[in-house]
Amino acid sequence: MKSPALEFDALAAAVSALPDSGLTAARQSALEELRRDGMPGVREEDWKYTDISALVDITNNWLAGGSTAASTAAEPAAGLEAHWITIANGRVDENSIEPLPEGVTVTRLANIRSDLAQLGRLGAFNTALLHDGLHISVASDAVLDKPIGLLLSDYAGGGACVSQVRVNIELAPGSRASFIEHQVSSGVGDLYANVAVNLAIGDNAGADYVRIQDRAPQHNQTGYHGIELGRDARLRQASFDLGGRLIRDDLVVNIAAPGAEAEFGGLYLVGDGQHVDNHTRVDHRVGPAVSRQEYRGILAGRARGVWNGKAIVHEGADGTDAEQSNHNLLLSQSAEINAKPELEIYADDVKCSHGTTVGQLDEMALYYLRTRGLDKSDARQMLTRAFALAIVGRSPIEQIEQLLLDAIDARLKGLLRETGA
Amino acid sequence: MLQIKDIHATIGGSEILRGLSLDVAAGEVHAIMGPNGSGKSTLAQVVAGHSDYEVTAGSVTYRDIDLLDLEPEERAREGIFLGFQYPVEIPGVNNAVLLRSALNAKRKHQGLDEIDAFEFLKLAKEKMAMLGMDPKFLNRGVNEGFSGGEKKRNEILQMAMLEPSLAILDETDSGLDIDALRAVAEGVNALRSPDRAIVLVTHYQRLLDYVEPDHVHVLSEGRIVRSGDKTLALELEDKGYDWVREAANG
Repeated sequence: MKSPALEFDALAAAVSALPDSGLTAARQSALEELRRDGMPGVREEDWKYTDISALVDITNNWLAGGSTAASTAAEPAAGLEAHWITIANGRVDENSIEPLPEGVTVTRLANIRSDLAQLGRLGAFNTALLHDGLHISVASDAVLDKPIGLLLSDYAGGGACVSQVRVNIELAPGSRASFIEHQVSSGVGDLYANVAVNLAIGDNAGADYVRIQDRAPQHNQTGYHGIELGRDARLRQASFDLGGRLIRDDLVVNIAAPGAEAEFGGLYLVGDGQHVDNHTRVDHRVGPAVSRQEYRGILAGRARGVWNGKAIVHEGADGTDAEQSNHNLLLSQSAEINAKPELEIYADDVKCSHGTTVGQLDEMALYYLRTRGLDKSDARQMLTRAFALAIVGRSPIEQIEQLLLDAIDARLKGLLRETGA
Repeated sequence: MLQIKDIHATIGGSEILRGLSLDVAAGEVHAIMGPNGSGKSTLAQVVAGHSDYEVTAGSVTYRDIDLLDLEPEERAREGIFLGFQYPVEIPGVNNAVLLRSALNAKRKHQGLDEIDAFEFLKLAKEKMAMLGMDPKFLNRGVNEGFSGGEKKRNEILQMAMLEPSLAILDETDSGLDIDALRAVAEGVNALRSPDRAIVLVTHYQRLLDYVEPDHVHVLSEGRIVRSGDKTLALELEDKGYDWVREAANG
């Protein structure tokens, strides 16, 4: 198979056409990096099951079509109390930034001379085409009383559309903040959104982070979330993949100071024609520290899912406690999941565990519910919902639970209909 | 109420019921006894509608309805309740949610409005008090982490809430201590009425000390080999199942 190739001349022209700003130098060096390394292909181990050549095609079509980005106002999810900042088609909505909660500073990356660290294999692609991005800082000991919302909204009206989002978040020591990243899209055109987020949690600081991906069924996204934890820092993260066509997310957690605790996980609901890939990697560089992850997937029709969880306990990281699990429920014979836990341990005094399961709905439980008068479809809905609830219960931000449950119920109905129940 | 005529039923190709007939009238309590493997549980599952059991001959009629044409949920809504020998654990499905959904499925079938949350809670707590169940069980996953006795009480709670016309209790007495047995018996006796029928499937006559049956049947090798009144259960306890087998063969 040929490696997906970007049209470089068109790409270089598009990069040069971006407004001159503090990002100009970073874009040019990213372009060179991209020219050297190319886009990830299925011959790379980490991309074996997720072929992004269709996304490269969308990018080439977008470049050929003049590479304009439609910017439309999007509405934050109703009922979610948060300080919403909107990034529509990769353009930061200036008006959504102010007024900021006390203790929070937001800087546009275009306004500062930024040397951006490349986040992941698609980081250079992100930086090269980045229109603008955000740097969000939370001051020392600040405790935010409501979440900061990042509404990543894209509209693809017709033809091809590509957008890049970059957000750097920094929590100073002792601060507490929560974040909701809501990824949505609309329009009948082809869309490829590429999102890169870096979250640095300072000493004794705590971050709650929820990612809700509810893209239109014909739209695509790749995402990279890099998270650094300081001494005694705490992360509670949960992700919910409900929509999209080809979705890939990399969550990379770096524990470089003792006492850190990272809890993360996600739920993916995948139907016919969808492909959802969650790759995680946690590096335990020092101990003691804790990482716990649990991912669950429900797959129907000819859905394809990928979960790859890597935990590396580096030499000397004694006192590491790392736990990972992945459970999958297949609602049809033709649904597919590639699940792979990976543990690499180079320290002596560690506690590590992993578990992966793939199964169908419990026939006996289904029968039991039916003998109590429940329709077969209601019984199936009840059991699949119960399976999903374990992850909803992990969501660190309580107020979004009902919204999530409603979205999950609606999505499960669709999946069960696909399965013909 | 229930007429079973000469049914033959198989599971995985082997025949378990071999020409079983049984008539249960409204107001009656029947006890079905018999040794392990005689077909007691198969009989219960065939009436409830388990799809693994295939009825190859005979008929099952319930209130003039051909029961074998109905799905398990349709049978339930028509008023049939099966108390499971091994109640299924369903983590993540809240006990109260199941009870309410089951109750509403039946009410919908009867053309009634859904029960409101307040009425439901009141009813559930009343039934739980009768069964000596802590109300906290309402908010636990269905049978999740329940002890054997708690699971059986939970079955009786479901029965008490649904008020079936025909209740079949499959070995509900097995593995119960004396307190749980009394609670279960109380739940069953509370359901007794002239327009309901109860079938107790049991290996031992112990439960029958608390719930007095009108008829006792002994099952052996897939058919009823002896029927009588409550004294048959005592005789059986005294002489053992070999006596029935010998009587049947002789």
